[in-house]
Amino acid sequence: MPRPVVAGVGMIPFAKYPQRTLVDLGAEAAFLALKDAGVAPGRVEAGFFANAVGSRLFGDSTIGQNVLWEVGINRVPVVNVENACTSGSTAFYLACNAVAAGQAEMALVVGAEKMCVPEFGLINSGESEWDTQLGLVAPASFALRAQRHMLEFGTTVEQMAQVAVKNRAHAAGNPVAMFRDPVTVEDVLAAPMIVDPLTRLQCCPIADGAAALVVCSEAVARGLGTAAVRVEAVVLGTGGYESPQDLARWETDYRVCAQAYEKAGLGPEDLDLVECHDAFTISEILHYEALGLCPPGEGGRFVAQGHASLGGRVPVNPSGGLLSRGHPVGATGVAQVIEIVAQLRGQAGSRQIAGAKVGLAHCMGGDKAGDTKSCTAAILSI
Amino acid sequence: MHIDNQQDALPLVPAGIAAEAGETGPVLAGGHCPHCRRDFFPRPRHCPQCLRPPEARPLSGDGVIYSYTVVRTRAPFGLPQPYAVGFIDLSQSGLRIFGLLDQGDIGRLAIGKAVRLNLGPLGMDGKGGPCRRPYFSLAEREGDDA
Repeated sequence: MPRPVVAGVGMIPFAKYPQRTLVDLGAEAAFLALKDAGVAPGRVEAGFFANAVGSRLFGDSTIGQNVLWEVGINRVPVVNVENACTSGSTAFYLACNAVAAGQAEMALVVGAEKMCVPEFGLINSGESEWDTQLGLVAPASFALRAQRHMLEFGTTVEQMAQVAVKNRAHAAGNPVAMFRDPVTVEDVLAAPMIVDPLTRLQCCPIADGAAALVVCSEAVARGLGTAAVRVEAVVLGTGGYESPQDLARWETDYRVCAQAYEKAGLGPEDLDLVECHDAFTISEILHYEALGLCPPGEGGRFVAQGHASLGGRVPVNPSGGLLSRGHPVGATGVAQVIEIVAQLRGQAGSRQIAGAKVGLAHCMGGDKAGDTKSCTAAILSI
Repeated sequence: MHIDNQQDALPLVPAGIAAEAGETGPVLAGGHCPHCRRDFFPRPRHCPQCLRPPEARPLSGDGVIYSYTVVRTRAPFGLPQPYAVGFIDLSQSGLRIFGLLDQGDIGRLAIGKAVRLNLGPLGMDGKGGPCRRPYFSLAEREGDDA
C-alpha cells in the first residue's frame, strides 16, 4: 500500500481580508503549496477542499472546484468537505486515504475560510438543533467542561490562563499568526468575561485565512526533491453521544488519540511536538490528558509547570495555536499540519524545536449531546 | 380573535420538547425503548441500539446540577443577558441533559444543587415572537441555600 507523505505546504497569514474573496484566499494557498512541492497542476490527481461557513455566509457551493481551477486543476475528482472545525483535517484524512488506496498518486488539500464579516456572531452546532435553541453556544460547552475540571481536579483559572499566555509567547515567532504580542496571566484574567470562567483572551478569535498541502505517495515524492514528511497515521472519529457524558474526561478525544497511536505504532513519549485544537484554554488542557501527555486531571499543572512550552517536555502549539494564530475554521486543520511539517523540516525559524522528528496534529469540531461530532489526529515523522 | 392571553398559549421552543403534566408540574418529552430498556432525551426516531421506534416517555425534570455556566456575551434568540445554562443529572432516568437555568438563580448556582423543571416565557421563537422555553430552577427547600 503506498504510504502518503506531505510534499508541499502553503498558507497565507491568518488575518482579516475584507477586500478578498474566499476563492482568492484559497487559490493563493494552493499556488504556494504547488510551488513548494515543485509540481505542475497537471500532476494533481484529486482535490479536497475544506470550508465550513462559506455556504451559510455567502450562499456559495462547490467552492473547491472554483479554487482549484484558479491553479489549473480540472477534470480530476474534487470533493468539498464540511466537518465543522475539522473540515481541514478531514480533507487531509481523505487525501491521505486516496493516496494510500492508490486512487491518486498526488492530491491537493486546501482549507479556506472567510468569516470576518459583520454579524457573524458565535459558532453554534446549528440553529435547528434543540440545544442551540436552548442557548448552547460553543464557548458555553467548553465553560461547562472547565467548571467540572476545576471541581474534580482542582484546576485553577490561573492555570487555564497559562495556556493563553504560552500560546501567545509561541506566536511571537510565527509570522502567519494573527496575534503575536505577549499577554500575562493578569491580562488574560482581566479580559471581558465571555462565559464563566472563560474570558475573551481564552477564546480563539475568528479569522480569514487559507492553507494547502500537497499529499503524494512516497515513491512520487522521491522524484520531487523536496523534504517529504511521512504520514504515520491519520484517523477520524465521531462522537458517542450517549448519556451521561463525562465532561471532564472526554471519551471521544481519548479514543481517537489512542487509535492514532495504535495505527502509528508510537506513543506520547515519541512526540517532539503537538498542534492541538485549543479553541478555548480548557480545550488544550483536556487534550493534553486525552493525548496522554500527562495523567488525567493533571493538565492544569502540566501547563503551569512549563511542560507544554517551547523548551519544555512536549511543546504544544508552537505555532501559537488557534488562540493566537486565529481560527479560520476550514483552514485550521490544514495549518496545524503545516506547522508540524515546518518543524520536522527544520524550517520553523525562531520557534524551531531542535531535532524534531515526530509531531501530532489534533483537531476537533462540532457539538452534539455534550460530545464532539468530529475528532482527528495525525502523526507525522521525518 | 380568540387568542388566549395566558402564558400557556405561547408556543414552546423547541417544539414538543416538554409538556405540562398537571399537578406534578412539567415533564420532559423523552423516549423509552422497552426492548433495550433505555430512556432517551429528546425522544429519538429510532432506538440507537435496536432501531425499534421508542415509545413516548414523560421524564421527570427533577435533578441536580452537574455543571453550569453564565453566558455573558451577546445572547441568541432574545434570551436575557446574561443567561445561565448547565447540564442536569436527572434523578429518575439517570440521563445527563443540557438545559437553560433560571435567570433568577444566577449567583446562587452550584454544582450538586437540586433543580426542578419549569416552562415559562423566555426569549423569542424563530419568528421573533414571544415563546416559552423549558428551564431548570433551584429547588431550594428550606435550609438548602444557607
